[in-house]
Amino acid sequence: MTAATRAPAPHPPADAGDVRPPLPRRGRWDGQARRAPALPPLGGLLPLGALLLAWELRGSPGSPYFPPPTTWVDGLGALWTSGRLWPATHQTLSTFAVALAVATLLGALLGLLLGASAKADRAFGPTLEFLRAMPPAAVVPVAALLLGYGATMKAAVVTLAAIWPVLLSTRSGVRAIDPVLLDMARSLRLSALQRARHCVVPALLPSIFLGVRVAAPVALVITMLVEIVTRIDGIGALIATAQRSYLSGQVYGLILVAGLFSFLVNGLVSVAQAYAFRNRPNR
Amino acid sequence: MAREHGAKRRPGGTGRVNIPGLSTMAALVGLWELAVRSATVELEFLPAPSGIAGAVATLVATGELFPPLLHTLRAALVGWVAAGALGIGLGVVLGLSRPAWRYSMASIEVVRAIPPVSLVPVALLLFGFSLRMELLVIVYAGAWTVLVSTVEGVRNLRPELADVGRMLRMSKATAVRKLVLPSAMPSIVVGLRLALSLSLVLAVVAEMVGNPRGLGNALIRAQQALQPEQTFAYVVTIGLLGVVLNAGLRRMSARALPALAAGRGELA
Repeated sequence: MTAATRAPAPHPPADAGDVRPPLPRRGRWDGQARRAPALPPLGGLLPLGALLLAWELRGSPGSPYFPPPTTWVDGLGALWTSGRLWPATHQTLSTFAVALAVATLLGALLGLLLGASAKADRAFGPTLEFLRAMPPAAVVPVAALLLGYGATMKAAVVTLAAIWPVLLSTRSGVRAIDPVLLDMARSLRLSALQRARHCVVPALLPSIFLGVRVAAPVALVITMLVEIVTRIDGIGALIATAQRSYLSGQVYGLILVAGLFSFLVNGLVSVAQAYAFRNRPNR
Repeated sequence: MAREHGAKRRPGGTGRVNIPGLSTMAALVGLWELAVRSATVELEFLPAPSGIAGAVATLVATGELFPPLLHTLRAALVGWVAAGALGIGLGVVLGLSRPAWRYSMASIEVVRAIPPVSLVPVALLLFGFSLRMELLVIVYAGAWTVLVSTVEGVRNLRPELADVGRMLRMSKATAVRKLVLPSAMPSIVVGLRLALSLSLVLAVVAEMVGNPRGLGNALIRAQQALQPEQTFAYVVTIGLLGVVLNAGLRRMSARALPALAAGRGELA
């Protein structure tokens, strides 16, 4: 394609008698997102790179507040050689994975129940609404009182926070199920198990995935939160400890690790979603 | 859709009182009370609902509840408003200016990926135990959310609307005011709602680990003093605060934007 064919068509020439100014050109505000790719252009990383570079060059390594990026790496290196980084990573990620799995299962089941029965939805609505509005941070002390300081408590708090997106999304998915699908299952005389396997679950998967997509970052954030607040195990605990000892290089380094996790998690969910729906024409 | 009874509620209205819902809640609480009383539940620190209610009553009667409650409420609201102003302002600029978007969005996505909670320790390093530290965390977390949803909303302006603006020869400022902002509003409101619940969460977290005031701190102190009734009382207060804030915002946005009342952003 040549440049000439790609250029926008010029405005039709105005009449000689038409003294109005020509119409303004298409502005920058007309629906660019439709044309833009899903990923923002990588040129956008320039300001971040420039900031980090300036930080590195101008910052003093001894600064307790803004230590330059190389000290972040040093801090992480110190944690690695002392053998604390790897167990913490493992603890954080396993808490996250277990809690997300449990939340997905429970959320999907509860969502199925509430979506299928308007009565159940109405009966449990206010209770669930109240539980949902509860900030997860506030649940931590209660969970600690009941379950003690440990991995179970962490997983329970994270599950409680991550369950809502899955539940809500599944619930609206159930309500939107095409009745024809269920009629067809009935006329084919499918057993309940077959109906679940071939109709209900495939129909609900997109909504469940949508819920998991929202729930995954939430679960990660809440995992960090619990670890920071209680200082038991994991990357969050390391951050809190490093902050207490004013090891700011370590703090920033660990935050970088947390950001990396979050990237990884989002990527994984996207990949899993693409894989699960690879055979669907349009999702 | 007849089955979607949620849609029957009038937009902005409270609808009928949900009697089965409230009675289920009461029944669950009653069951809890019974379980604790009859000692079928062997949990050392699980207080009965009556004990929690008693603790709430005591906290209200002595007035002990109000200073922390007001502190948390103020911090969360002030932080939320600041985050909203910052996020919408920057979001409109980034949504309108293609170069600005092009050369910053990827950075924003990267920085935003860092869980805001993990920045609480950094804020502590910078400001120590103070209200400023709490506000910094709240504004930081909320601003990204509002910013990103504003950018989305502004950039998704329908081409037809943009053409209307051109045809009416609107100046850019008029077009932003009359077309871009109104059409981005649903997306912005979703961002604001997310930011509000986030700001309450972060206010409580900041108070739990840093700022020695507010509900989060009161909660931690009650827990460390091994007073389960009081701990639960604070938790219930925080939960109620969350419900009230969320309902208030939903009410406001439903009144301002009736088209939104169909429950967009429910996932949040």
